Amino acid sequence: MSNITVKNILFIGAGSNDFGLEAEHDAAIYQVMPELKGHGINVFLIDENPYALSLESLAAEAIWQPLTVENIKHVIKNNHIDTVLPLFGGTRAVRLWATTVQQWEHGDGPVPRTLGLSIDMLLRVNNLPNLTRYMADAGLPVLTSHVVKAQDDANELLRELQIPLMIRSLHPKTTNTRQMVERLDEFEEAIDYAKKQSMTQEIIISKAINGLKEVSMEILRDFRGNKMKIGASEDMDPIGIHTADSLSVAPTLTIQDQVLEKMRTYAFQVADLLGLQGIMHVQFAFDDSTGAIYIIKVSPYVDQMASRMALVTGYPVMLVAINLAMGIALEDIVLPHDFGEKTAMMEPMMDHVAVKLPIFPFGELEESDVSVNRQLNSIQKSVGSTIGFGRTFIEALEKAIRSAHFNNATFSPTNMAHISDDALIQQLIHPEDNRVLLLIEAIKRGYEIDELAELTNIDEFYFYQLGHLLQLELKVENDADSIESLRLGKQFGLSDGLIALFWNTNFTNIRSLSKEHQIEATYKALEPSAGEFPENARQYYSTFEEENESVQVSDNTVMVIGSGAFRLGDAASGGYATTIVLSELRRLQYHTIIMNNNANDATLMQNLADKQYLEPLEISDVMKVVELENPVAIIVPGNRRKLITALRELDQNVLILPKEKHMPSGPVDDRTEFALNIFSDGQQIYPVNMTQHVAGELRIISQIIELPKQLAQTHLENPGVYQVIWYENGHDWVDHVEISDISYDTWLRPMPFGQVAFISKVMQVQWVRITVRALLGRLTEQDQKLLENVNKLTLQTDVSLVAADVNYDLHLQPIEPIDGTRFELGVNIQYYDQK
Amino acid sequence: MIRHLILEDGTTFEGLGFGAPATTFGEIIFHTAMTGYQEIITDPIYDGQMIVFSMPVVGAAGIHAEAYESVKPMIRGMIVHDLAEVSVNRQRRMNLDRFLKQHNIPGLYQVDTRKLIRHLRETGPQKATIVDYADDHAVDQLVATVLTNKQVQNTATSKPYANPGRGRHIVVIDFGLKHGILRMLGDYDANVSVLPYTTSVDEVLTLDPDGVILSTGPGDPRSLPESVLTLIRVLQTKTPLLGIGLGHELFALANDATLVPLPSEHHGMNHPIQEIISKQIFYAMQGQGYAVDETLLDRKKLFVTYRDLVDGAVQGLRHRDYPAFSVQFFPDAAPGPYEATAVFADFFETVEDYVEHHS
Repeated sequence: MSNITVKNILFIGAGSNDFGLEAEHDAAIYQVMPELKGHGINVFLIDENPYALSLESLAAEAIWQPLTVENIKHVIKNNHIDTVLPLFGGTRAVRLWATTVQQWEHGDGPVPRTLGLSIDMLLRVNNLPNLTRYMADAGLPVLTSHVVKAQDDANELLRELQIPLMIRSLHPKTTNTRQMVERLDEFEEAIDYAKKQSMTQEIIISKAINGLKEVSMEILRDFRGNKMKIGASEDMDPIGIHTADSLSVAPTLTIQDQVLEKMRTYAFQVADLLGLQGIMHVQFAFDDSTGAIYIIKVSPYVDQMASRMALVTGYPVMLVAINLAMGIALEDIVLPHDFGEKTAMMEPMMDHVAVKLPIFPFGELEESDVSVNRQLNSIQKSVGSTIGFGRTFIEALEKAIRSAHFNNATFSPTNMAHISDDALIQQLIHPEDNRVLLLIEAIKRGYEIDELAELTNIDEFYFYQLGHLLQLELKVENDADSIESLRLGKQFGLSDGLIALFWNTNFTNIRSLSKEHQIEATYKALEPSAGEFPENARQYYSTFEEENESVQVSDNTVMVIGSGAFRLGDAASGGYATTIVLSELRRLQYHTIIMNNNANDATLMQNLADKQYLEPLEISDVMKVVELENPVAIIVPGNRRKLITALRELDQNVLILPKEKHMPSGPVDDRTEFALNIFSDGQQIYPVNMTQHVAGELRIISQIIELPKQLAQTHLENPGVYQVIWYENGHDWVDHVEISDISYDTWLRPMPFGQVAFISKVMQVQWVRITVRALLGRLTEQDQKLLENVNKLTLQTDVSLVAADVNYDLHLQPIEPIDGTRFELGVNIQYYDQK
Repeated sequence: MIRHLILEDGTTFEGLGFGAPATTFGEIIFHTAMTGYQEIITDPIYDGQMIVFSMPVVGAAGIHAEAYESVKPMIRGMIVHDLAEVSVNRQRRMNLDRFLKQHNIPGLYQVDTRKLIRHLRETGPQKATIVDYADDHAVDQLVATVLTNKQVQNTATSKPYANPGRGRHIVVIDFGLKHGILRMLGDYDANVSVLPYTTSVDEVLTLDPDGVILSTGPGDPRSLPESVLTLIRVLQTKTPLLGIGLGHELFALANDATLVPLPSEHHGMNHPIQEIISKQIFYAMQGQGYAVDETLLDRKKLFVTYRDLVDGAVQGLRHRDYPAFSVQFFPDAAPGPYEATAVFADFFETVEDYVEHHS
């Protein structure tokens, strides 16, 4: 069906995790590569991220190398690549491929074809001023920046653009020269200042859009020019707060049809202008008072919005996007049989609300005595997010908050009682991560909704909703043991735990009270037709209504508890491990169920598990699903100790994937961390290898190790990869360590998932899969043989795991510089010369 | 206050009342649009019907002066999951709840609308009532109620009126016209005369129109008098003609087509519609309970121009001999995607051509 012939295609991965870069690209690539392989295309992938799942896919030849122009050129040459697909790797891959093309030399041979966008457009997308001009010339409402020198010209712009304006210096002497001009009498002074700060006495004037509503829209376009909308979301927080740090709601609730249709038309025009074949995210600013719409960002590639829309609509976004990129028309796309025959062509409709809540790293940093600027602004500070699903905004919000695993007390309505009125107003104007509580507190203190809306630039709708939530919580709190309050509370997403807290009891009592009065969760299918057509849905979320649609998958299911939002220190490795667990369970012919709530995590890709529950992961949520599905086993990450205990108390067969709460990722100062890595199958311990960790770099020591006598007698009941850790002074790399006696100053811990991912790739041994088999008593003879000789494997030991270069200064504005080796956000690999 | 929805098949749903506390009867259908609730409930095509919205939260965009499709909503009830109380009216008074109260229309919220929709998907539209008590009396009342088939008479104008402009003169035959059509004609600065559907051929031709539009409207087109079809048969030979929605169905009937009730009605804006000649796919608002039977089409007179790619339902027809065509979907984009407005551009192109060749 495709109108292009491809023999050898190269995917460019997204590289290491960073602010705004979680596992969405990896998951997208992992999903779509088999689609191409199925069409007889040779698929290649280059990525450097040790946590990349797609590097372990059987659908591609994976090249695990740093993402550099040189490496990409080599891969292209060595593998006769005729086609490159950077769009699934997101902005970093697009930039890298554009640079590669620009640096293409005669001897490099013909430039491979780029799918999705022409090279010309790719270069344009990569050059923001150029792209903006291009769109402006096409009559699209973009925000243009004007460079002026003379006061007269500035005055003219003032008339044309009208206040508020953003004024900054061109070629500034200092880093931040941005000024907002909101009153006419501030204008001249701002111009003077910006001129003085500019090395060329030139200033940039643009329309200020802080305080406007931000709307995101995701669309598709095929080679014939057919376009469709996947969905849109609105940010509760106004422009001025980075969209990743905003509370986002899908579908849009407060935007009128006419406005949304205008945005749709603009987005379609941009897609036509770029000649897109694939997927695009367009961000808009909307001025509620004037009706003006501005295009603020265009991302014609996979990003977090794309993966979020896939999750919240149930529409097979990635599968359709790869088909479109391959030149298949929208109407000719054939989807796997569990989707409706016409699903690809139908714009998805939602009959539920999804709220995305950002997760900030402030807690982890505070624990380590690192102070940062917590005020939210236009630069992203969040490192992850959770999504709550419900049938109302409040239910979805409550579930998103619960998914974030805050302590219940954190979200108790009394939490903000101590804040002074002045401080409250200050924080309303300059919001921090706790703003939802702050808004509730402001309502509680009797501020008028229209005042609050004006102060915060948040739509009145949200204040009405939060007001409801406040009333609801107060009602539940003051009405202990009332069945009506219990029903109401549950309908709005309050957990058994929170209600128990209000009523001074425990969750088991709440649970039995609910059962007694038939206040039971019902699960609704999440599918893209909003009930219009029957679909074989795999995704479910809970609510409290009449009809339950979820039926037990089978009597041979294993349920896996995901690790929720990405956090500082855990990064993407938790998602990597859980995803492999699911894949291995399926291989072992179990039916699989995943419970999770993170749209950027690979565990929630559409075809990985037999069923997904998009839910918070508290004990009450998990038990509700357990009662319905009756799984033969539940696999839980080891750091969820409370959950494990609670499930075991309820007689569940819990299998633990060994994991500790996050830890600083490596030694500090002039020290070396040594790790003796071992595997336990539950009976016996097998030596694996030694690793050395110095200043953010981890290497495998090329030494065949035997088990020290202290360990030979140890019994580790829970299967998994573990390590014995100790520190030594100095930072020189070694090739041999004496380990005959490790009884002093050492401790045992589960190997962090990130290192598991790394050594799995280096050793070509699938440690997570082996752990799963061991947990289920399914180790094979071959496994046994491997384990007995695993310490003698010849390894590639010229590759090391290194902390990625994350710009903490930019994102978090810490008071003192953050040591990147202590707080892992992303990792890379590096090849080094062996001595 | 707890109120009840009773369906003719005996199914009942519980919810909380909003809007007016009235007891009403109507035909219940479901709508999958996620935006445009105000336009939908004020669209005369829904005269006499109760609408269930799959969109879980309704009302959060307020009630806007520019989103009326008729001044008075004609629906008999609105069923939603969650109701938002937001006012954007400059007088700061009007929200969805008050709006329905003002027009004596009952609403029901906190209903398991997904269950209701999954039920209606199987049964098709049926009679329903919103009542305070779901007792036998209410059920008997519902069963005994005969719903009107005079929706067009109810909603269409009985007197001619003008919507003047400086451009082409367009006569709109009103079968329950929605404002969106007039708004679109306004975009072309058309000089519009709106005439009742009981108008005679002479009355239309005396006005010397440059084109005629058969408007959208509610109900079963087959319940309209034969005179309407005669009018269309003459007008299509005299002037460019565009039929929309009910107007499309009447245009088809006038040219010997057969209408069949759709097994699953289309009320939403997410179905792919394909223009057959160009293969282009676009999306448009649909509100359709009947469709033209393509197999029984007189191909000497009409041919199919647009098709719904989900169930193949005919979405547009064109006459082989005259500059007359029609669309089943709503190209006025009120609410709905703007792509569909190209139909009006087509129409005005046809009008310009016609004027050029006939003056």
